[in-house]
Amino acid sequence: MKLPDITAVPPRDPNVVMRLDRLGSFHQSRLSFMRILLRRLEAERWTFDRPVFDIDTRGTGRAVYTAHGPDRSYSLVAFANDLPPEKRSDRVIATEWDATFTLFDGIPTTDDLDRLQDNVPRQEAGRISERELSLSRANRSVRLWDHVVDALAAGRQPDRDKVAEVGYLMRTTAVYGSGKFGAADREVTAGRPEFQAPFQVEMLSVFLTRAFVMDLVEHMARSRAPDTAVPLDPDLRRRFGIGNSTGLGMAPFLLTHPALINSWIAAREAALARIRALPQAAPHDVAIFRRFARRARLHVDDWHSEHPVQIAKIDALRADMDAVLDKLEAADLTSNRPWDRLWLWAEDALTLEGQELMASLLMEPYPHLVDELATCMGADEAATWRIDGAMTCTDLRALTEDVYGWALAIDWTDPAAQARVWYTSEAKLEPRLGDRFNEPVEPYEQPLCPGRDAARMYTDLIASDEATVAGFLMRHPQHRHIVRRAQIAGRLPYAEIRDNTIDASVKPIDMLRMKLSFFGASHFDPRSDRWVRINMYQHAPFPHELGARSGDDWAYPFLTEAAE
Amino acid sequence: MTWSLNEIESLSRKAARGAGLSWGLAEEAGKAARWLSAAALPGPRVLADLLTRNDGRDYETLCPHDEEEGTWVARGGTLCPLISGATLCDQADQLAQGRAIRLGRTASPMLLLPYLDAAAQITGCEITISWDGLTVACGPEAACLGPACNGPLDTDITESVTIRPESLTDGMPLPRALRGDMPPETAQRLAAFAQRTYAPETEESRLSGAGAGLTDND
Repeated sequence: MKLPDITAVPPRDPNVVMRLDRLGSFHQSRLSFMRILLRRLEAERWTFDRPVFDIDTRGTGRAVYTAHGPDRSYSLVAFANDLPPEKRSDRVIATEWDATFTLFDGIPTTDDLDRLQDNVPRQEAGRISERELSLSRANRSVRLWDHVVDALAAGRQPDRDKVAEVGYLMRTTAVYGSGKFGAADREVTAGRPEFQAPFQVEMLSVFLTRAFVMDLVEHMARSRAPDTAVPLDPDLRRRFGIGNSTGLGMAPFLLTHPALINSWIAAREAALARIRALPQAAPHDVAIFRRFARRARLHVDDWHSEHPVQIAKIDALRADMDAVLDKLEAADLTSNRPWDRLWLWAEDALTLEGQELMASLLMEPYPHLVDELATCMGADEAATWRIDGAMTCTDLRALTEDVYGWALAIDWTDPAAQARVWYTSEAKLEPRLGDRFNEPVEPYEQPLCPGRDAARMYTDLIASDEATVAGFLMRHPQHRHIVRRAQIAGRLPYAEIRDNTIDASVKPIDMLRMKLSFFGASHFDPRSDRWVRINMYQHAPFPHELGARSGDDWAYPFLTEAAE
Repeated sequence: MTWSLNEIESLSRKAARGAGLSWGLAEEAGKAARWLSAAALPGPRVLADLLTRNDGRDYETLCPHDEEEGTWVARGGTLCPLISGATLCDQADQLAQGRAIRLGRTASPMLLLPYLDAAAQITGCEITISWDGLTVACGPEAACLGPACNGPLDTDITESVTIRPESLTDGMPLPRALRGDMPPETAQRLAAFAQRTYAPETEESRLSGAGAGLTDND
């Protein structure tokens, strides 16, 4: 298959893409990490079993879910707890959870399980080893959990509307990987094909967690009423995803992994550019696109939030999708670079939510143009990390003006421009966002404000008579981190968020949304400006259904036959 | 108990920042401790010793000054290897072009190794470093310990370090492990420095955390 000439439509300008309001409008796509994982599990015919399910009638005990790939096996080890309501908190400062998990590298022995039982339920206070790849926990959605157990125990299926309203039975909070709390470093697994794409360990862990949670709820119903209990109807069962509650802890990641973020965005932008460059579209590809657009419209109807900002965004997105469906009625999408014409229309006609959903939808008909880009989404961060001291100060100046032009235009003496401070609390090292002028936290500021720091560096740079970056940094070591960032962004165009992360109006949920959308999450439901709930794997097949059902086509609700 | 390299890097970075280094230098100090741990060298302990030694000292007294062509000395008497290492790496192109550099009195010279390894990786050239009769070669391949090295690498102070753009004909490659070791006492000392980067807990701060004040029982 000949690829279209991608120079025909250049990827979007980072100054357009890397703004927080746009990143905060991203949606899942073919390049989301959950879909990359399930495509692989399906294509390689992974098999799954449950060697241990030792849970008592109160719902406490342990279970093991093992995934067997072509070369290796991985096991989710789950510990279920009977948690009193007053201890149920999804904040990092919590100390107990309804369920805790680790992904074990291989198949654990009983000794491994005993060791893990002493540590995994304690999460950050425990210790895991190089045999473990992740550490996570989840709490029940109490209202839906009780309803589902009651209904199944009584021999009934739960109410569909209640299921739709919440969408999951348990919410994970932190899912730790990459060497945290003693776990194996990323380098240990990075060379394995199944973990080449980012966050595959974490996505596998959550995929197996969903299977465990559904088994657990059925087990609880059966334990309560062995004579009357029924299992969930398989179609209704797939409507349960796994929730996640994510706070500020995730936000710094976007700033501390610039090369990786570049890989994600560059892959997505390359996909969009390839599709926009297509000179024509085959009728069946147009039909696929129309069908996905209708499914996306249904998805918007299923998306609930109580947050005023998100409610307004969803309302606007609903109108956007109506406009898209109208446009599709009349548009000729077969010739004359049809997707580019549609895209340019969308840039004028739709809100950011609608535009970014359009970007995701355009990828759906074109697996052969898009899916291979998944192999470009990792990053060798070391390759671009070291400072190039030989760069001239003249070049650094031009680079700073190019990457941080938006920051140099900000009046940093305005208190609103640096109203916030990113810092770490000594309480369980929880990342927080403070008020610079009303809280005593400025001395603890983390370097998560590249715009302000670039502006400060630039001021010293234009006053400096040093010839090279090496000389400049010798005199100004406080600028070392931001010079590194500038040089990384010079090599990798989408590495830097081109927006003020400490402005009075900053919404950390925009940063969380960008990362979670790449995971493949949906139903973003901000609970404040710094905390968001999402749903993962809703409508996806369960491990035992892979093969019989697509590992890829599940991210939008399915049309009913009448709507087809 | 062993540590992940990520833990060692992260704790070392925070400790270096807590001890007063700039964020950029602290990031590189974290990488240095990680690199040394992977090479089965006591990077975290030597870092903890250095941070203790230099605690409260000004950058200006620790950073290199090119007093005479090719010789760096610190105005405070002893060079900090984290600052000199970063500067050497910044000048990797000059090392690759054949320039030799001599460092005067230097604390914990072992901490220079990761920076020279990075310089060798960037330029693709071999660089050797010597002090007190020890020689280590850094190159695009693994770093190698020279043949006549009997003394300890983790010496506190040396009077002179020489860095030359040349390769070793014979040497023992340093290991590249995926796990590190750190004595509990070292971890405690680094954690005490890292603690300085954390804001004390206050009620106001706690309430401004993510999700504060909302129930999770829904």
